[in-house]
Amino acid sequence: MEDFLHSIQLLNYTVAAVALPLFAAFINFCLPVKSKWAGWVSTIAILLSCVLSARVFAGVWNNNPVHAQHVWFTVGQTEVMAGLLLNNLSVLLLLLVSLIALPVHIYSTAYMAHDDRRSRYFTYLSFFCFSMLALVVVDSLVLFYAFWELVGFSSYLLIGFWLTRNKAVQANKKAFIMNRIGDIGLLSAIIILFTQYHTFDIVQLFAQKGLVAQSVIKDGVWIAATGQMPAIWQYVACAGIFLAVAAKSAQFPLHTWLPDAMEGPTSVSALIHAATMVAAGVFLLGRVYPMFTGTELTILAVTGCFTAFMAATIALTQNDLKRILAYSTISQLGFMILAMGVGAYASSLFHLATHAFFKCLLFLVAGIVIHEMQHVKEENNLDIDAQDISLMGGLRKKLPITFIVAVIGSLALVGLPLTSGYLSKDGILIQAFEWSEGKSVLFKLIPVLALLTSWLTAFYVTRLMVKVFFGEFRLLKSYPNAKLHMHDGGLQYKLPIILLAVCCLFPLFSFNPFSYGHAWLFSGLTSLGNHEGESIYHTIIPVLVNIISVVVLYAAYVIYTKPNGFKFQQSGFLYRLSYNQWYLDAIYQRFVVKPVLRLCSATFWVDRNVIDGFLHLLTRISGYIAKLTAWTDEHIVDGFLHLMASIVQSIGNFARRFQNGKIQYYLYSMLVIVLVLFILKILI
Amino acid sequence: MSLVRVLFYFLSFIAIASALYAASSKNLVRSIFVFFVTLFALAGLYVLALADFVAVTQVVIYVGGILVLILFAFMLSGKETLNILQQQQEKLFSLKKLPALLLAGVFFIVLINVVLKADVDNLQWVKDAISFKNEITPNAVMIDNIGINLMTRYLLPFEAISILLLMALIGAAHLSRKEGKV
Amino acid sequence: MISLTDFMVVSAALFCIGLYMVITKRNAIQILIGIELILNAAILNLVAFGKYDKVNNSGQIFALFAIVLAAATTAVALAIILNVYRRYKTIDPNDINKLRD
Repeated sequence: MEDFLHSIQLLNYTVAAVALPLFAAFINFCLPVKSKWAGWVSTIAILLSCVLSARVFAGVWNNNPVHAQHVWFTVGQTEVMAGLLLNNLSVLLLLLVSLIALPVHIYSTAYMAHDDRRSRYFTYLSFFCFSMLALVVVDSLVLFYAFWELVGFSSYLLIGFWLTRNKAVQANKKAFIMNRIGDIGLLSAIIILFTQYHTFDIVQLFAQKGLVAQSVIKDGVWIAATGQMPAIWQYVACAGIFLAVAAKSAQFPLHTWLPDAMEGPTSVSALIHAATMVAAGVFLLGRVYPMFTGTELTILAVTGCFTAFMAATIALTQNDLKRILAYSTISQLGFMILAMGVGAYASSLFHLATHAFFKCLLFLVAGIVIHEMQHVKEENNLDIDAQDISLMGGLRKKLPITFIVAVIGSLALVGLPLTSGYLSKDGILIQAFEWSEGKSVLFKLIPVLALLTSWLTAFYVTRLMVKVFFGEFRLLKSYPNAKLHMHDGGLQYKLPIILLAVCCLFPLFSFNPFSYGHAWLFSGLTSLGNHEGESIYHTIIPVLVNIISVVVLYAAYVIYTKPNGFKFQQSGFLYRLSYNQWYLDAIYQRFVVKPVLRLCSATFWVDRNVIDGFLHLLTRISGYIAKLTAWTDEHIVDGFLHLMASIVQSIGNFARRFQNGKIQYYLYSMLVIVLVLFILKILI
Repeated sequence: MSLVRVLFYFLSFIAIASALYAASSKNLVRSIFVFFVTLFALAGLYVLALADFVAVTQVVIYVGGILVLILFAFMLSGKETLNILQQQQEKLFSLKKLPALLLAGVFFIVLINVVLKADVDNLQWVKDAISFKNEITPNAVMIDNIGINLMTRYLLPFEAISILLLMALIGAAHLSRKEGKV
Repeated sequence: MISLTDFMVVSAALFCIGLYMVITKRNAIQILIGIELILNAAILNLVAFGKYDKVNNSGQIFALFAIVLAAATTAVALAIILNVYRRYKTIDPNDINKLRD
């Protein structure tokens, strides 16, 4: 009974936590566009959400999952249920999202203070929070899909928030289209699952001994307790989910929207494109994890690994501050997918959580830097790109607090000890090595590549830090007279970044800074994961990774701090490959966008010339028919009527002649009739 | 052929011929005066039909009354009308009148046909009248009988007609008054 | 004696002549004459048949009535003709068509 009451309470808290941002969005929608209060409405809502989420988290974490559902609607015999599912995974994400959203909201109140449409901004932001929070707690695939779409939609709104900028509009279009590809995959997967299992319920489907876990593939037939179908459909469903994950979590080949999405406000990038929305893909993978077995997991691992490596190499050469962070995000997401692929379920989600904090932190830092650069630009009327790191430098003296938290965030990203990043990333690497053990050389390539990626990460992070915070302020070289008034910003800036910086350190997750296995978060999630064996990798890998990382860090520091030091050749193939982001955008442009556009113009041509032509022909034919009928109407129908009329008229005229007022004529007529009657009488 | 019969044919001829002339004549004065002849011939025919009183009445009323009236009317109706009428062509047969002529002719044929078919001389009641001696003989005097019948059997029609005559008299007088006085 | 048929034929001839006059004449007085002819034809019939009613003399008496009525009719008709002439300056019945629509 107490349990029951407890779970009711938790469910109420959850509903409140989810609904509050929606409520805030509604209020903001009703507020004037320039309202000062919009930001605080959203912030208070998300603060309350955060507190409630923490309460729910405390109640559910490592306890029995709470699952409540109600009949939503009935189709024939099938009752579609809707409800809430609170298990370790969902409450973790619930807390994580609200916890990340809170500093971002606070930060946004300052960051967007001078925007003309801030009430709209907070409307969208709150709406996004609502969608994301709802996404993580719902228990039905249908609802999941609905909120999945809403997340994509609100992300679309936020990326294109500055809708007067052409690039922003292009970017949100791109993001939306990419996400739609994933949505189609998810929808097909849901439909296939429903066809096979006759339920949308996540618990029934994906629980430890759920329907999915019990179904097997035998002789090319996919057999489940509720029915069977050819095995190909199982692969299609997996492919659909993979597509959805790849689109949402920016995995190769659908990752290209994420760097472009940086056109949105930086706070949005921090919340959505670093911490929460992109994590939705990984979260989906976590939800439907039992579906993936064997080869499918390997595909995941390969994709994740490749994405991580590719994104890291691209991040090496980019000059746009946010773009570097975006590629870093893609890379880290690749790590998470890789972890899922190698069976490191818990590590993956662990990394998701830690990454959310430090990447959000880094984005907020970037936001501050860009904000200040924007100030400088506007103050001095300069024609520069405020996000170009080649123009920055030496900012550590001007933005000291920002610098400190940025260093913490970077170290976490690199994964050096004492940070949260170390715990999660090393977990992934170790488990990847364990996974590859006993497999062929080709499989060994994956952990090696991951290892390489983490060193590359160290390098590009250092490059970024050095270019932004160390050395001289390179802007002054081009514009020596520029006045510089830069500072860390008010409490609304400082508080969130300090808060997030604290979250990037190890004590939040584990009291043992060197072993991921002791992290409470990790152990809370391992129930779903696999073995945890002790092996030599547990000592070798961290040491190896960190020593080389430190070496790379130092090397990068040396390379970039010396003004006339070593310079990379900027014309080599590898450089161009990296700088142009592996030409993927160009490839898409050439092989996807252009053909599609050409197809569009072809279909447009067909539409214009064939279908419209046909329609015009029809129009003309019907015009002729109309004319013909009009003619017929006029000449035949009307003519008939006229004929009738004239007949009647002539009869009338004829009859009128008898009514001519001549009395003798009347008499004559009468006599004729009498005579006729007489004659008839005689003759007959 | 008895004298009576000869007389009958003669009178009939005069009546029909004069009537035809009156009909064909465009001249109003001539038709009026020829109508006199017709009426006189008819009076003769009435006598031949053994109705001398009627014949006398015919002469008195028609010739003495009606014709004088007609002449008065003709005289009062102005000169212009007469002139116009007299200018018209006097033709017995004109194309305009052909339908009327045809009609009259056909009517006549039909009537003759009816009369012949009816065979009026052999009607039952005529035969009865002959057998019951209810037939007027040429030497019978019917005037007193008519007078008695008028005052007894046909008193009501007689009185009605007298009232009608009075009404007609007053009406005619009223109609022929000059309009200004109304 | 003269047979009834002879009288009937004469009266029919007179009747038809009167009819012809009534139909064709453009002069109200001549039409009146036509009417009188028709009446006389009728009276001739009455008189002819009245020969076979010695007691009641119905034929002759009704012939008398008819003559009297004809006189009255003529008087009224002539009064009307005079009025018409005064108003329309014509006695052609075909020209008197004010009631025509």
